[in-house]
This record gives sequence, structure tokens and C-alpha cells, in this order.
Amino acid sequence: MDYLYDGTFEGFLTCIYYHYKAEKASGIYDASYYQQSMLKACKVIETDIEKARIVSDAIIRKISREAYVDIYYCYLSNNEQRENIILEFLIFAFRYGRKTMNFYTHEKVLPLNEASLKVSREVHKFLGILRFSEAGGVLFSKFSPDNDILILLADHFADRYKFERFIIYDEKRKKALVYTDELWEIKENINIENIEYSENEKLIQDLWKQYFTDLAIKERTNLNLQFQFVPARYRKNMAEFK
Amino acid sequence: MNDNVFKKLKILSDAAKYDVSCVSSGVERKNNTVGGIGNASSAGICHTWAADGRCISLLKILLTNDCIYDCSYCLNRVTNPVERATFTPEEVAELTIQFYRRNYIEGLFLSSAVEKSPDNTMENIYRVLELLRYKYNFWGYVHVKVIPGASPEIIQKTGMLADRMSVNIELPTRESLRMLAPQKKIESIINPMSLINNEITRTIEDKSHFTSTPRFVPGGQSTQMIIGATPDSDKTILGLSQNLYERFNMKRVFFSAYVPVISSPNLPAISTMPPLLREHRLYQADWLMRFYYFHSDELFTEIEQNLDLEFDPKIMYALRNIDKFPIEINKASYEELLRIPGLGVTSARRIIRERKNAELSYDSLKKMKTVLKRAKYFITVKGRYYGNVKIEPEIIKRELKQQEIQKQLSIFDVL
Repeated sequence: MDYLYDGTFEGFLTCIYYHYKAEKASGIYDASYYQQSMLKACKVIETDIEKARIVSDAIIRKISREAYVDIYYCYLSNNEQRENIILEFLIFAFRYGRKTMNFYTHEKVLPLNEASLKVSREVHKFLGILRFSEAGGVLFSKFSPDNDILILLADHFADRYKFERFIIYDEKRKKALVYTDELWEIKENINIENIEYSENEKLIQDLWKQYFTDLAIKERTNLNLQFQFVPARYRKNMAEFK
Repeated sequence: MNDNVFKKLKILSDAAKYDVSCVSSGVERKNNTVGGIGNASSAGICHTWAADGRCISLLKILLTNDCIYDCSYCLNRVTNPVERATFTPEEVAELTIQFYRRNYIEGLFLSSAVEKSPDNTMENIYRVLELLRYKYNFWGYVHVKVIPGASPEIIQKTGMLADRMSVNIELPTRESLRMLAPQKKIESIINPMSLINNEITRTIEDKSHFTSTPRFVPGGQSTQMIIGATPDSDKTILGLSQNLYERFNMKRVFFSAYVPVISSPNLPAISTMPPLLREHRLYQADWLMRFYYFHSDELFTEIEQNLDLEFDPKIMYALRNIDKFPIEINKASYEELLRIPGLGVTSARRIIRERKNAELSYDSLKKMKTVLKRAKYFITVKGRYYGNVKIEPEIIKRELKQQEIQKQLSIFDVL
């Protein structure tokens, strides 16, 4: 039986609950992307916060907090197999227990580690390369990350710009992190277009561009290395590469 | 801000770009003040990478390039007819805040030529910090340069507001310094280093009694020296680094390959290429000293006073000490694992962790993305050797050379 969930983390954990308490899952899929097949039965699972909590508590208690974080990061990754990587991992890990995470390269553990590592690398990269522009007293930023990392940026910028108002917009997934009065929330399914930037925005960007260009030492030019650090797909939202 | 700022920024960032350090690490601080902006992340954050592939983390500028000194390797020396500019402290603070709000930078790295006197210049640097911390309530990362010859009082109060301080040692030996920077005395460099180190130790101790005591430069101190402007050997350079790490608890010693910008009888000709590969090897060796428990002496012999340009220092060490290899992956200690060429800190930790559950196989090493290309000549796994050649330095060298050809091409393409 394939289980289908609503795309939320709680929904996914609810599927895990039913995998153990009801019929075993042959696979877990996001309902909105699922391809129906003649040969496989499937069932839509309704998200249940209580059941999700039972599963997350069990993961932390029987495996480890580290495993729980890796599972969450893997869930946010763009790996098409992410739900089933987690499912396979959990089947193995609930049997093996607290030592599971020592098995870095085990075939049931490695895919989870790799997906999670990709997500945390992208988060770290965007802590640096995210760019804000001022629009009427609000700092506005848009980006298109490979993985769904918006929520993982919240705490860092909420602390850094504690007394500012800001919006970080994921243009790929059409959702935005909105921060105001020292609180943040994520708004789904929104379109942000035609921003009117503040008057001195261009001046500051030009200063930055000039600084960025001048700082490179000509005798040491190494564009390949620069591309390794800032891949082309990340550049369109960075003022200095425009 | 106006057109004037563009011009000043051009002159004063251009003059600062040869300073290598752009590190924003070593301080973890939340934004705890009412109305404050900024925090610091202990791992450091790179914000972009320039066309030379170097990370940009901090706004790196000089307060002024107007200098009373005449150091022959320096573009800003008093006798060189370059255009001069000076920022006001307000301008620097404003620029820092505006860049920081847009997440261009992690903070500020402020250096300066010596205008009028060391004390006067240091006082101006202090004014920038005071403005940033108290008027703008800025708690991002600030690294400031100490001006040799500035009085201890000014250095002391500046360090209470900065995250990191550095005094440039400039050159590896007393003789080199005398030849190229005759107005700088070695004491005027060593004394402030020692002062900074003492203040750091003192405030850490105070903090164990009074938690509210502010820390003196919580990010520690660093220094840098120019490589290739003088005939000093790598052994001299790394010996000095080791000394600086031990005596002053330096967080980092940076090397800067000399880019010939000036002709002088005492300096390499203008057409000389900057020794980038040598600089790279020195950084590799520096890494070995800081994270791999190597002592600088272990990297040299009586005859060889310079690092090998063809192979990295860890391979050279292993080949000279081949009797200590191969090392068994399933039995070696953490320190021993770190001596294996190709194995880094992350791999060594993973190995230690994973073998708690079960013995490791060669295949699981592959999956860890351990660089077996080099490591395989120096290890056994469950007693078996996978190098497929005799464990003799010359033979291993030949094998490695085959592999290195590809890599070296890319390095020399750039040169």
C-alpha cells in the first residue's frame, strides 16, 4: 500500500505511524505529485498532529536527536526519493537503536546523511549569499534554493535583523518568510512582483558592485574557482553579479 | 553618501586588497541589545567570492592611505606618487551598516596607513569602533589592525570593542624587515602582540569571577607576512609561525604571495610572478600544524629547507618516513589517522565513529568520500594493502605523479 500525504512534515510522520500501527507502507508520496498506477493500491492519509508527535518522540528517544534533525533536513531536500529514504532508514534504525548514526556508510543510513548534508550546506551558503534590498523601510530578499530551506534561515536573520522588518521570498516555491515585530511566519502560495525599491538602493548596490570588482587581485584571477563557490544558478539574485 | 564616497572607496579598498585575512570566525554572539543590529557566528560566514576566487566576508578597507612611512614593498609609501584619500569615521560606519543590512558582509575589517602618528591613527580607528558599537548599536564582526607604535592605552580600549585584532609581522626575519621596512622596529610589532595576548588571558580569567566582564578581542589575534619578497626559506617562515602560535596564541598566521608592484633594487623584478603555489604549500603546512598535530621541524630535513612544490607537505612527510606506514585503518589512533595523506579531520572522525559498530572495509572508506587516491598507498584495511605497488618512496612518487599531472595543469593554467 502506497501512503499519500499532504506535503507537510506532520503529514509524513502520520504515514510512518500508520506504517507501524496499520498496514506496512510500500512507499510514501506527496499526494500532489503522485502518479496513480493500475497495479498499486494507495491511500490518502489525513494529517494527525498527535500521531505525528508520537512518531517524532519515538525517533528522538529510540534513535537520537541527531537522527531526527537529519530526517527533517532530508524531508526538506529536493531528493525525489526523500520520503522513501527516510522510511527505509527508520525501518533499519528502529531495529538498531541508539547506535544507528555511527553507521555513516550503511546503505540505509548513507542516503539520509547525504541528503541532509546537502541541505545544511545550502543553508550555510545562503546565510552568506542571500541579498536584501530596501523597499520602503522593509528589507526584501528573493532567492531560488535547490532545497526547501526557507524555514531554516528564519532564526539566523530574525536575530541578525531583530529590529528590522524583512521578507525572504522563495520564488521557486512561491512562499515567503515574513518578519515583523520580532516574530516571523511563513506564507504559502503568494506572488511578490513589481517591488518599488527605496531611492538610495541603487547607490548602495553600485558601491557594493564597485567594491566587489576592485577587491579581486588581477594577477590572481581564477574564474573557475569563483564558479565552484558561487554556481551560476545562484547568481541572478546577487547584486554584484547583475 | 555621494560621489566622493565612490572615489574614496575605490582608493581605500584597492589599497587594502592585498591584506589576506577576511575571516569572520571565532565569535558566537546573539543580538542582545535593544535596537541593536547584528550578531556573530563562530564558524564564520562567506558572503561572496571575488574573481580571484577569494572569499569576501568583511568590508575590508583602509581608513586612509596617507602614510608617513617609506616601506619599499608598499604601494602607499610616502615617496610613491599615488592618489590619497581619507574616510571620516562616520562614512565608514554608515557604509558598514548599509552593506550589513543587505547581507553583503559579516562586518568590517579596518586597517590604515600611518597618518601623522601611530597614536593619532589608532585613535581614529577607535572612533570608528565607538561609533559602530554605541551610536549604531552594531554587533556584527569587527577586525581592526593595530598600528605598530600606538600606545598601550589606545590598543587596550580598542580591543574591548573589537572582535579580532592583528599586528602584521610583515616579513619573516629581522634582516628582511631592516632591509625593506627600515622605519619599523621589530619591538613595535612584538610588544602589541604580547599586550593583546596578556589582555585576552586577563579578561578570560576575570570572566570566571565576574560574568559581566567584557572579553578583550574574543576572536583572538592574527598576523600576516609577505612571502617571496625576500630570500627567507619555508623552514624559517614556518618556524616563525610555530613560534607565534605558541607564544602569542595566534588564531591564524596568514601568508601573502608578494605581487611585485614596485621596482626597487631590494625587491624581485616587476615581471616576477607571485609565488602562488608556494603560498598554497605554506597554507597546507600551516594547516598541518594547527589541526594535524605536526611540528614545523617535521616537515624539513637538514638539506631540504623548503617545501616541495610538486607534492603536498603531508605526502612529503609520509614518503620521508615510509617506515611508519602503512597504517591500519581499524586500529590507528586519531592522531595516526591524521598523518595519512588524503585523510582529513572529517574522515578521521567518521572512521573512529563508524568502527565502534563494526570493522571498516575498503568499500566503506570509499563511500565516506575519503580521498583514497592518495591514501591507498599508506594504509591497510583489515590487514590488506590496496596500493598495488611496493611500499617504496620512489615507486609511490611515480604513481602519484601520474595522478598529479591533471591537477597541476589546472593550477598552472591559472598562472
